Amino acid sequence: MNLLFPLSPLLVTGFGALLLMLTEAFGTPRVRAAAGEEVVDAGAGRSGELALGAAVVLLAGAVLSVAVWLAGPAASPELKLLEPWLVFDGVALFMSFVLCLGGAFTALLAGGYLPEHQIDRGEFFPLLILATLGAQVLSASGDLLMLFVGLETMSLAVYAMIGLRRGSARAVEAALKYFLLGSFAAALMLFGGALLYGATGHTDLRGIGQAVASIGQPESTVNAGLVLLGLTLNLVGLAFKVSAVPFHMWTPDAYEGAPTPTTTFMAVAVKTAAFAILMRLLLTSFGDERAMSWGAGWPPVLALLAIVTMTVANLIAGRQESVKRMLAYSSIAHAGYVLIGLVATMRSPIEGQASVMVYLLTYTVSTAGAFGALILCGSRGAEAVSYDDLAGIGRRHPAAALVFTLFLLSLAGMPPTAGFFGKLYIFRAAIDSELYWLTVLGLLNSLVAAYYYLRVIVSMYFREPAPGAPVATPMRSGLVTGALVLAAFLVLAIGLAPATPLAMALGSLTGG
Amino acid sequence: MLELYLPMFLMFAVALGLCCVFFFGGQLLGEKKPSPGKLQPFECGNDSDGAQNMKMSVKFYLTAILFVVFDIEVVFIYPWATLFKGLGWVGFATMLTFIGALIVALAYVWKKGALEWEN
Amino acid sequence: MQTLQVVFPPTDFTLLAVILGLPLIGAFINGVFGKRLGNQAVTLMALGAVGASFVASLLAFFILRGQQAESQSAVRLTWTAWEWLTLNTPNARVPLEIKFSLDALNATMSLVVTGVGFLIHLYSSKYMQEDPGYYRFFAYLNLFVFSMLVLILGDNLPVLFIGWEGVGLCSYLLIGFWFHEDANAAAGKKAFIANRVGDFGLLCAMGLLVYYSGALNWSGIEAGAAGLATQVQIWPLGREVPLAALVGQWINAPVYVDASTLVAMFLFLGCAGKSAQLPLYVWLPDAMAGPTPVSALIHAATMVTAGVYLMCRMSGVFVMAPKAMLIIAFIGAATALLAASIALVQNDIKKVLAYSTVSQLGYMFVGVGVGAFTAGFFHVLTHAFFKACLFLGAGSVIHAMHARIHDTEASQDMRNMGGMKAFMPITHVTFLISCIAIAGIPPLAGFWSKDEILYMAYTQSVSAPEAVRAVYPGLYQWPAWAGKALYVMGLLGALMTAFYMFRLYIRIFHGEFKGWTIVKGWVDPHAHAHGDDAHAAHDGHDDHGHGGDHDHHAFDPDEPREGPRPHESPWQMTTPLVVLAALAAVAGFLNAPLIGLHVLDDWLAPIFTLAKTGVTSVDPEHAMMLTLAIPSVLIAATGVGVAVYFYYLKGGEPAAAIAEKAPGVHRFLMGKWYVDELYEETVIGAIDSLAEFFNWADRWIIDGIVARLTAGIARLFGSVLRFTQTGRVQAYAAAMVVGTALVGYYLLTPRASAQLFEDDRAGSYRVEAAPGLGYSYRFSSQLTEDGEFQLEAGDAFHDRRTTSFNLERGQSRTVRVEVKDAFGHTSKWERRIERPKTDGRPPGSVDFNTMIQQGADGRPRLVLPPGHPEPTLPDPGADPQGGAQ
Repeated sequence: MNLLFPLSPLLVTGFGALLLMLTEAFGTPRVRAAAGEEVVDAGAGRSGELALGAAVVLLAGAVLSVAVWLAGPAASPELKLLEPWLVFDGVALFMSFVLCLGGAFTALLAGGYLPEHQIDRGEFFPLLILATLGAQVLSASGDLLMLFVGLETMSLAVYAMIGLRRGSARAVEAALKYFLLGSFAAALMLFGGALLYGATGHTDLRGIGQAVASIGQPESTVNAGLVLLGLTLNLVGLAFKVSAVPFHMWTPDAYEGAPTPTTTFMAVAVKTAAFAILMRLLLTSFGDERAMSWGAGWPPVLALLAIVTMTVANLIAGRQESVKRMLAYSSIAHAGYVLIGLVATMRSPIEGQASVMVYLLTYTVSTAGAFGALILCGSRGAEAVSYDDLAGIGRRHPAAALVFTLFLLSLAGMPPTAGFFGKLYIFRAAIDSELYWLTVLGLLNSLVAAYYYLRVIVSMYFREPAPGAPVATPMRSGLVTGALVLAAFLVLAIGLAPATPLAMALGSLTGG
Repeated sequence: MLELYLPMFLMFAVALGLCCVFFFGGQLLGEKKPSPGKLQPFECGNDSDGAQNMKMSVKFYLTAILFVVFDIEVVFIYPWATLFKGLGWVGFATMLTFIGALIVALAYVWKKGALEWEN
Repeated sequence: MQTLQVVFPPTDFTLLAVILGLPLIGAFINGVFGKRLGNQAVTLMALGAVGASFVASLLAFFILRGQQAESQSAVRLTWTAWEWLTLNTPNARVPLEIKFSLDALNATMSLVVTGVGFLIHLYSSKYMQEDPGYYRFFAYLNLFVFSMLVLILGDNLPVLFIGWEGVGLCSYLLIGFWFHEDANAAAGKKAFIANRVGDFGLLCAMGLLVYYSGALNWSGIEAGAAGLATQVQIWPLGREVPLAALVGQWINAPVYVDASTLVAMFLFLGCAGKSAQLPLYVWLPDAMAGPTPVSALIHAATMVTAGVYLMCRMSGVFVMAPKAMLIIAFIGAATALLAASIALVQNDIKKVLAYSTVSQLGYMFVGVGVGAFTAGFFHVLTHAFFKACLFLGAGSVIHAMHARIHDTEASQDMRNMGGMKAFMPITHVTFLISCIAIAGIPPLAGFWSKDEILYMAYTQSVSAPEAVRAVYPGLYQWPAWAGKALYVMGLLGALMTAFYMFRLYIRIFHGEFKGWTIVKGWVDPHAHAHGDDAHAAHDGHDDHGHGGDHDHHAFDPDEPREGPRPHESPWQMTTPLVVLAALAAVAGFLNAPLIGLHVLDDWLAPIFTLAKTGVTSVDPEHAMMLTLAIPSVLIAATGVGVAVYFYYLKGGEPAAAIAEKAPGVHRFLMGKWYVDELYEETVIGAIDSLAEFFNWADRWIIDGIVARLTAGIARLFGSVLRFTQTGRVQAYAAAMVVGTALVGYYLLTPRASAQLFEDDRAGSYRVEAAPGLGYSYRFSSQLTEDGEFQLEAGDAFHDRRTTSFNLERGQSRTVRVEVKDAFGHTSKWERRIERPKTDGRPPGSVDFNTMIQQGADGRPRLVLPPGHPEPTLPDPGADPQGGAQ
């Protein structure tokens, strides 16, 4: 049973979820119910403890991921038993670390946000851990069926997390929209998977890859047309999950309608997991020279998606009046940058993949921090949403404004923050792959993006709230503060020692 | 590869063909003598009443979904049972974990009151 | 000394951490706790930090001197804070370290920064006393000293860049220190924008240096500088311009530039931004909006000379680029002339000093531009002393005036001054000494450094190291007239300098004090006795006619007046003046070759060893030194004489007369050549009209047509979709379907594209079609303009993806690639390929792949690709100074 240790990141989250479910169901309700409020939930009023429990579970998952990574997947030959269904290699462990980190941030933020805004429902936390588990499985899956199981585990939990505020029409609308379109995308993926199976006789990614490589050989019976159709549908399904334009239209509505911690999770973990599996799928099953062709394969498609995604998202983001919606568009734009890294795997696979991995890490800490700071800036009845809400925060609550500024600078890609190095590695990989025009467009886009990030900073420091306007008063919560301190530390630490995550990412790929 | 599916496609084609033949054949060949009584919609011999999009209690859906969840269990247990000997203790422990997780879920559902029809 | 060397070993020279750390701690403590600490503690903290840093610099300087004397060669003491990241380039792994080093050049510079910095801190402790932002001011000032030290002590370009940005930030903060005044904030913004333009150049230069010299640290760049002797294709980016077919293939015509010229010009763009050279100088005069000590420290003594420092640092790179250096020298000379001419007529005393600074910086660039790095750096030193002294003196005057006038504008206007000699004796004497120094009268400091620059400009030219020129004969050579032209421009500038400095001096300190009438609420007791009109007519010495009244009685400082009398500044302000004036008087003897002193030359010689190999002189024996010095002394004396005659003896009448005779010229100079207006019209105007256009487009095209069209379509679809209540989700799903269709269309239709590998020199070409799943290929080519396409190997499509062929010079052919995909559809790609008649490169130049590397003996060595024919080297005996003629 030497599988226990190498599988511990998954086991911890899985059993942690079950344990938290029981705790939540059988614990004594501690209700701060105002008069007339209906209490359904035994976990109500205990968000703080549950959040702490969930954060501990998820951080344990993150730490164990690193521990297993350090021991090296090669040290546990038993892991081979799980292949081809689960491929628990260095990349999967790295991603598992990032996902658990994103989940832990969400748990801490929710621990402050939910009670503050009176959506104190305990089931959020088991759902969160299960969603993270789904994301971990998704990013590690080596088989189309496993991929689908992971995807749905993650998605179903997230649908419920969006609709947590049942009384709010917007939240329900957001959840329904995401659910309908998500099902549509999942159906496309399933159909794509069926076609791939039909064409190649395999559901495992490596087997599909071998079949694709055999196209053109005299004895091969694999139909290239069906393979390409399957590739198209799978690409579209995952492009939906990473919210690449034009499959992004649900994103702003869902992000805005969802409780902010859920938004954080969607922006951070869901996107990371989708990118992880997209990268694995493309490089394992469609890594053949002809599928990865610069002229007629998936790289030009992704390059076009990247350009459209970055440009459209950045242009629209600049016109938003709501900071939360702006951050939603910003997360779409960041998907565009990551796509550049994926395209770069075409000519420099190792550097390209490593840049994507590091970018996802830096993006996770910066985005979680930015949403966290937005949560911190608001309180009950006065949630900080628009630019005007943030006016003058720099004077009234300098600490909150300072960390917010840090995360925004990181998102904008200013040195010496983590975000700068994420972008640097992506663009460097792109230049290594001779994608000069893509790099230039990416750089131009990050310039445009700087505008709307700086706009937040300007309204925090140089604007005063209009007389009589509602003023957001920052909330007080140890959990949110803790999350922000951790995120700020990571943003700066990665900015000052960026070689470490890059070395880890490269090590994951080369097995060193 | 695809040739394997040929019999299946044939069967679909035959089934579809037969349906069409019966349906349109009846339309074309049959004698039509409409009368008001014949044109009335009927529902197991009784007159229909009420709108079609009737509202159902959410409890029906909840119960149905719970049924599906625990029903799926069987899908997993059947193949396991056929290979039980070969899988040995590892297989046994795996299935035990699986059933354990389901028991936790059952306990959760129970405690949350999802199984209570009244109230 | 021995113990010190043990405590601070050369490769882990932690003393640098002390030098850097103290001002940083000062900035931190003053910035965070300053408000609570009170002014006294803030002063102590700030002064203590910079003072201790100065002492540590002094210690480091002596340790370095000891080691350099011991080893008789260039010594570099280094301290690595941490390794930041590693860049991988095709040629090398370049580690980026947060690393600092000390050598002769920056040891000297750090003494100036901390020393002058300390004096100015001391001065500010009184000057800023009343300001409510006292602690903030000192926090910024300490932060500035820290950033400046990072800039000069950094061991590689990225660290220098951090300091470069840091000083820019502090400058921005300090210019806009009184940010409630709009003009100051605007000046801050101007500085910010001009510096961004410069930073762009510096960043580009860094990228090119990593690529061509394989390093970013000083020793690495110097070792790899020879790698710059190659050509760079600067157009098109990448393989080709996308959609080139739309505009024609001419847009793909390649353009080549020498790598060294490109790097040098980009570096200079950075230097021009920071050191206020044409065309980016406009920010510096406006930067005088900040407090005067800031002008003295940042905009005269230290930050603005960072560009000169960088050029000295990169001397090994610059001497590789003769063409760029010629441009740099002439830009320096032009800046010196332009700024001096503007300074002739300004009335704001800080403006005069600001334009004088721009002009002096121009001289420094003439110096480094002709490859006389020591001379340029020498002028940095002397200028730091006399210009800081002048600014502080001006500040002292303004301080005194402000106490009377309470109006910032008026208290800086020299028309309100005069006769200050009687009130402020110390300020007067120190100001006079500095004026003589900057005017270039021997034996004060300014004469020695300016004269050396002029001598070098006349005699020296940049020719690139001989070994490089031998293998890369395409390099530019300086024309013979360049030196003479630079010399004459320098002399003209010197004439103007002497004139405007003494104009300034006389109008501040001599004549009658004219500030009496400006006190707010002061009523002239004799107003009825002499009306304004009557006076204006006699008012010959003031050609600009301000609205104030003048007391025409004999001047008597003891006569009781309304309002406070101007008075000498307290000791905290006069001590720095005295010290700086003393330095301005004697610093010239550091390098006075006319009387046989070469201290600085010898001290810096190891730094500029490589640079020395890249310059040639028409006067290697220094025979012309005295001959060339005489005109420069004469011309300085003339300038002083004219100023004394105009303003002291004649009370300004001749100047007014000239201004009247040539009002156009006068207005033109007063208007500062209308450069600001020019930029306003061209650059800013262009941006504005672009914005205007987009605004128009937004209103008419976007709002008018697109919005209405979309609204119409939305209404149309709205009525169609009225029956479905969830219109929006369906729209989203529709977008997804369209997206899916597009992705599918792209992947499922055949896509012929190919890459062309061309070698114009060998005339061999290869076309490689892009691979694709299930694709097969067919190649054909058209040999004549409208001939038939001839298939290469039968009709059949095949798996082979490439075809190759040779062309003669000037011959062309059109290649067609056809692909067939899995569904049997086909698509084709065509490209006309022409081999150029010539190579388009300088005749006799070597192949791009040729690298020149530093050999074991330190001399550049040629490394040729295998199979390349050996280039024929010119006979070294025949033409030893080919570059100088």
